[in-house]
Amino acid sequence: MTTTTAPATQVYQVFIRATPDAIWEAITTPAFTERYFHGSRIEITPAGRRSLGPDGEVRGDSRVLEFDPPRKLVHGWQSLYDPELAEEEPSRVTWEIEPKRRGYCKLTVTHDQLEGAPKTAESVYGEGWMMVISGLKTLLETGNGLDG
Amino acid sequence: MLGGVTDDDRVFRALADPTRRFLLDLLFTRDGRTLTELESELEMSRFGAMKHLRVLEEAGLVVTRRSGREKLHFLNPVPIRLIHDRWIDKYRVRQVSALAELKTELEETA
Repeated sequence: MTTTTAPATQVYQVFIRATPDAIWEAITTPAFTERYFHGSRIEITPAGRRSLGPDGEVRGDSRVLEFDPPRKLVHGWQSLYDPELAEEEPSRVTWEIEPKRRGYCKLTVTHDQLEGAPKTAESVYGEGWMMVISGLKTLLETGNGLDG
Repeated sequence: MLGGVTDDDRVFRALADPTRRFLLDLLFTRDGRTLTELESELEMSRFGAMKHLRVLEEAGLVVTRRSGREKLHFLNPVPIRLIHDRWIDKYRVRQVSALAELKTELEETA
């Protein structure tokens, strides 16, 4: 069996039937994120990205490096929800929204600069981001969260 | 969306070729490779490798990013996940519940 370690650059892409504005709002507004992002209430403004758990615990608190609605968002990432992961170096997440034909947008999420955070890379790899991204797609296209 | 070519069609078509499945496996073992690296693992011309990569890209299974002067190819697992959810999970759930029912039935009659 081949063992694979989670890459330090991870790319996820999906087509979503929604407007760029709707996608942007779903990424940056807590009332939306709590329905697809592991129940986290995430608020993103030019001042920063703050993620709170259901009991108000801080799950993420990072700088916003680029805030260009409704096209591009770049922010830092540190997994504060797990003490072991929180000790690792910060990484970076880029969201790119590109309008396509027939009311679809292409959303590309790139999680990179994970060289100094191998455990974080492992924990978000594959299933982690895919649950978030497919949940976001389902929410925008059907109005339901994955569990709703 | 009956009639037109859907995203699912493109993914199934892209997967229906051993070279393209091999390319995905290569990226799964190590992501973010150049055309030259990928081509060196295939027994075909650079042009042939490019053609296969283009089909994978059109299906959304491979995403390219520029890194300095290089163009890197990344595996995008999301379309396979969506097909899994749509086509495989559904049938597996039914199978599992049929087995569960059989188990209950056997235990009740035992």
